[in-house]
Amino acid sequence: MIKKKNSIKGYLFLSPILILITIFLIYPFIRVIHVSLFATRFGFGKMEFSGIQNYISLFKDEVFQTSVLNSMIWTVGCLILQLSIPLGIALLLNKKFRGGNIVRSIILIPWITPVVGVAMMTRWILEPQLGLANKILFGTGLISGPINFLGSMTNALPTLMVISSWQFIPFGTLLMLAALQTISPELYDAIKIDGANSWQIFRYLIFPLIGSMVGFVFFFGFVWNFNTFAIIWMTTQGGPVNSTMTLPALIYKRAFKTFNMGESAAMATVVGFFLIAVGFLFFKYVWKRAEQ
Amino acid sequence: MQRIRRDLIRRNTITLFFLIAIVVILFIDLFPFYWVFISSLQPNIEILTGKTRLFPLKMTLKNYADLLLETAGVTAFRHYILNSLRISLVVAVLSTGVAILGAYGLSHYQFFGKEFLGRMLLFVYVFPTILIIIPVYGIMSKFKLVDTHLSLILIHTTLAAPFCTWLLRSFFDSVPFELEEAAKIDGCNKFQAFIRIALPLSAPGILTAGIFAMITSWGEYIFVLIMINSGTKKTVPLALAAYMSHVDIQWGRLLAGSALNVLPILMIFLPLTRYFLKGFMEGALK
Repeated sequence: MIKKKNSIKGYLFLSPILILITIFLIYPFIRVIHVSLFATRFGFGKMEFSGIQNYISLFKDEVFQTSVLNSMIWTVGCLILQLSIPLGIALLLNKKFRGGNIVRSIILIPWITPVVGVAMMTRWILEPQLGLANKILFGTGLISGPINFLGSMTNALPTLMVISSWQFIPFGTLLMLAALQTISPELYDAIKIDGANSWQIFRYLIFPLIGSMVGFVFFFGFVWNFNTFAIIWMTTQGGPVNSTMTLPALIYKRAFKTFNMGESAAMATVVGFFLIAVGFLFFKYVWKRAEQ
Repeated sequence: MQRIRRDLIRRNTITLFFLIAIVVILFIDLFPFYWVFISSLQPNIEILTGKTRLFPLKMTLKNYADLLLETAGVTAFRHYILNSLRISLVVAVLSTGVAILGAYGLSHYQFFGKEFLGRMLLFVYVFPTILIIIPVYGIMSKFKLVDTHLSLILIHTTLAAPFCTWLLRSFFDSVPFELEEAAKIDGCNKFQAFIRIALPLSAPGILTAGIFAMITSWGEYIFVLIMINSGTKKTVPLALAAYMSHVDIQWGRLLAGSALNVLPILMIFLPLTRYFLKGFMEGALK
């Protein structure tokens, strides 16, 4: 294709979107570092420079330590579910069958659902007295008393991890499935003639070809999970006793519930640099290697 | 003979296993939606006394009526639906417009940093919005936009338009170059040729981008939570979340509200799934 080197015009057409992103995403991302260096309750107006004081008090803060730990458990746990299950389902669905296209469209539904809808369903199904989950478990004799899924310190975090993964898994599945479908049928035939068993087909044909997609889902999932806020806030608000307090929930709580914007900004800065580092490592080592 | 029979049994077992697996997957996927919807059609008193049924004997629209016909000031749900609709429609139009321009630039011009910019637009899809709530609140208060719908329109467009741009670019790229060349020979300039040829051919992509932007705005929660204070300016997610945090939850109305929040947009989006995924395919495999 012949294209003229016409750089100015290209930028011109992109300028509306770039202006929006710069004002509302990139500038705030930088600005948050600035706010983190001040003792401030509201993030503007009266601000007093305090150097790294916010960071010092942050790292001494036990709730912060808890939320770091929770965020780690949350992200790793969710990613394990969200990579293994989609890969399994995608391999299962990767064949032609009647209604296949409809099934594939329907599967995506949880991912499109607004998070408030997911929160509502969660609360309704897991409600200790009225919820269906307890009724079924009780009816089949698996439990003797109602389980408090969201109100107990031991249950809340794993429960929410499953709910959040329920939402992400369809998305991961369809991406992996789409990648699988780029492998031409002749390749399967060829490797089968060579006498490969199912595991060898997966190891030597499928995985190398969809590896870049798995990497992509991993990175998307990592960032998405690490920043999951709405479902947690709408179901438990980080409780009971901080057992579901992840970093995003604590960032929100410190900023808009207890009005300690400075400390909240310090937390956001720490998380921001962490994510940038993860992104850098991902693009440097995983992405490039998968492309080869 | 026996061998053929054995093969047949084996194949049927595999098919059966396959069907069961699909049914299980679809059940886990869809059952919560069915349960919320079917619960919302049962009388509030039965819901609150734990008598909600999987297959109700009698159904009623009373919960919906209670929710929608209530006129008592700020608790009027209709009002929130109108707020949400207005905001998300404006966001859809703005995002699509901004995205068409941007995608045209990406697909028809060469310039420095183009591929990087394109990638960046895709990754805004998972931008960690929670990290920027404080400065965004600061910016909005500086422009006196706190507690206005305009603030939501701006931020939602910023969140939705980048993915729309990325998505549309792949549509514009797949329009044969020769078609636009032919239009130019007929006397169109470059942009006119694009409007007349590539744009109509990309209609599914444009529709998907618009609906995607609308859904993004319709379901967005964090920025509504921090920006909106007045009861009358709330959107549906904020209203539902507020209902949920009441000590004495009105489950009947809440279920009806959730059904209204979720089901219509799923209906609109389902036929467009294929085009939506196209955007990610290009991002991951290119």
